[in-house]
Amino acid sequence: MNDSLLSSWVEWTPALLDGLWTSLQLTGGSLAIGIPGGLLLALLMSGRSRVVKAVAIVLVEIGRGMPALVVLQLVYFGLPSAGLTFGPFLAATAALALTTAAYTSEILRAGLQAVPAGEVEAAAALGMSHRDSLRYVVIPQGVRVAIPALLGFSIQIFQATSLTFTIAVPELLGQAYSIGAATFRYLDVLVLAGLVYLAVVLPAGSITRLLERRMGRHL
Amino acid sequence: MSHLHAVLLGVPWTLAVMLAALAIGAVLAVPLAAARRSRVAPLRWAARLAIDVLRGIPPIVWLFIIFFGLGDKVLRLGPFQAAVLGLGLISAGYLAEIYRGGLTAVHKGQWEAASALGMGRADAMTRVIGPQAFRVALPGATTYAIGLLKDSSVVSTIGVTDIMARASQDARSTSSGLTPFLLAALVYIVLSGPLAWLSRTMDAKLRARVAR
Amino acid sequence: MTLTTGTSVVSLRGIRKEFGDHVAVRDVSLEVPAGEVVAIIGPSGSGKSTLLRCINLLERPEAGRIEVLGQAVEPQGGVSAAELAKLRRGVGMVFQSFNLFPHLTVLRNISLPQERVLGRSRKEADARSLQLLERVGLADKGASYPSRCSGGQQQRVAIARALALDPQVMLFDEPTSALDPELGLEVLAVMRELAADGMTMVVVTHEIQFAADVADRVVVMADGAIIEQGPPSVVLTAPTVERTKKFLRAVMDR
Repeated sequence: MNDSLLSSWVEWTPALLDGLWTSLQLTGGSLAIGIPGGLLLALLMSGRSRVVKAVAIVLVEIGRGMPALVVLQLVYFGLPSAGLTFGPFLAATAALALTTAAYTSEILRAGLQAVPAGEVEAAAALGMSHRDSLRYVVIPQGVRVAIPALLGFSIQIFQATSLTFTIAVPELLGQAYSIGAATFRYLDVLVLAGLVYLAVVLPAGSITRLLERRMGRHL
Repeated sequence: MSHLHAVLLGVPWTLAVMLAALAIGAVLAVPLAAARRSRVAPLRWAARLAIDVLRGIPPIVWLFIIFFGLGDKVLRLGPFQAAVLGLGLISAGYLAEIYRGGLTAVHKGQWEAASALGMGRADAMTRVIGPQAFRVALPGATTYAIGLLKDSSVVSTIGVTDIMARASQDARSTSSGLTPFLLAALVYIVLSGPLAWLSRTMDAKLRARVAR
Repeated sequence: MTLTTGTSVVSLRGIRKEFGDHVAVRDVSLEVPAGEVVAIIGPSGSGKSTLLRCINLLERPEAGRIEVLGQAVEPQGGVSAAELAKLRRGVGMVFQSFNLFPHLTVLRNISLPQERVLGRSRKEADARSLQLLERVGLADKGASYPSRCSGGQQQRVAIARALALDPQVMLFDEPTSALDPELGLEVLAVMRELAADGMTMVVVTHEIQFAADVADRVVVMADGAIIEQGPPSVVLTAPTVERTKKFLRAVMDR
């Protein structure tokens, strides 16, 4: 590794870290909107009304069947023709939140189903309403069971924020590409960007696995 | 109708990228999974690192590194070759972990039984362990393939004229944003249907054969 | 509402419950007057748990009439959520597998239903919970999580949780079956005290000794029907029905 590469990397790092911050904000925003949406879908899917259930399942299957990139382009380039215009960041957040909702609904549904039926029965026998039973017994436990899988998914969403480059969000990849275009040193800067992604993804993956093992011990 | 036609033009490219990448990945994943379980520690670490790096960097970044970065000076590749190479390498990383999961699931007693019968390591692997591991790994592998079909849409960013790219072009040229993208989404969903069906039937057949 | 001795707290008439092709309970009628302790015994699969679960409508019978604490419900017709809540408020239930909420402390397990169902304040609820924990001999366990308690302790917490809602009748569904004999004894001791205090109780159990000591009446079920009932001194020592004799012999042999 020569000196000029290293000094360039040092020079580019602030811009890439700016991009990383945008990527992380996008991740946070998508999860903050998408996971509650996923929980709602999960509850509808495990609900008692057959019609509601069918509609929720169809929504989830469509959401999971569409590539995130298509959802992104649809929201940013497609919706304006239907009269809905978003800025890049908002469009990116909305699109990734939709994908998040579809995927996490399956994760959360599995979590809710892991709560023993006996506890739901006990809540009913105590005279607790269906709503209270969900709110105080099923959801807190179901969500807790789902946490490792949700973390794993969050890492994937962080990676997926790189797709928002295509709608001009100045996230990590976008910053790297701009530097590449200005310096014609695409390889050098893209490799640095790749390393920055790894610096987030690999530790996060280790934490997720650790959590998985620890929770597995208690359940 | 013309919108649909425009989007359908991308189908062969999407399928070609996906199948070629899958083929590369399926082959490269074998030595990678083997190294991951090797008795030689440095080999194990190297494989682990390779898998982590392949899976840890987002696909679009890999494609840019290969197409814009390497393509700049080291190796000149067309968009299609770069796409297949990039997604193929990433697939190798994911499939190696799926294979490893299959191998780990085979009971240790099977190795012991095979060696007690006087079979060599290679023989035990190809005759006894491999087939059982394949059975366990198959559902994961098909799920990955369905995911790859969707993820392959990123190749549009380096100029492969796949479904995604055709939809974008159509949206721009006809300035009717919504329809092309909705059609693209529909085509992806329709394409993943048969794959899901194939995986279910293959799984059922294998299950019937390895009845327990 | 307090009921004077003699009026029926639980009245079941012609209860029939099916699971698919299998008839679990066939046309069973049972009256439980206030203050009585009824033990339901019988071989497994005889429908005794199912019958018990029909009382608070955890199972909806296909036919029959249920009256609990003067409130009549026609389970075949629709039962509104409000009716269901009212019925269950007066009926406490203890399960074979305890079914405590594992993510809540022992104290919260007992307080939460009081807050949600009776609208008690957290302070009131906690005070009542502590009082009940003391009564079941677990005053020091309030801050523990269920997983830190033995099975016997968990079951006693479950009893306290049910009592916290001031039920008029308590249902016990094989409360000691999941416990080692020793731990079962501490649960049975709590139940004995409860009976001595005059609580109306319906107990599905395999503990013949408990039935002999505590129950006012023993009901024997087989194949979804009541085959014999009466005071324990009669049913357990001089049964008249052959099927009862056979069952009791099998239990004694173990």
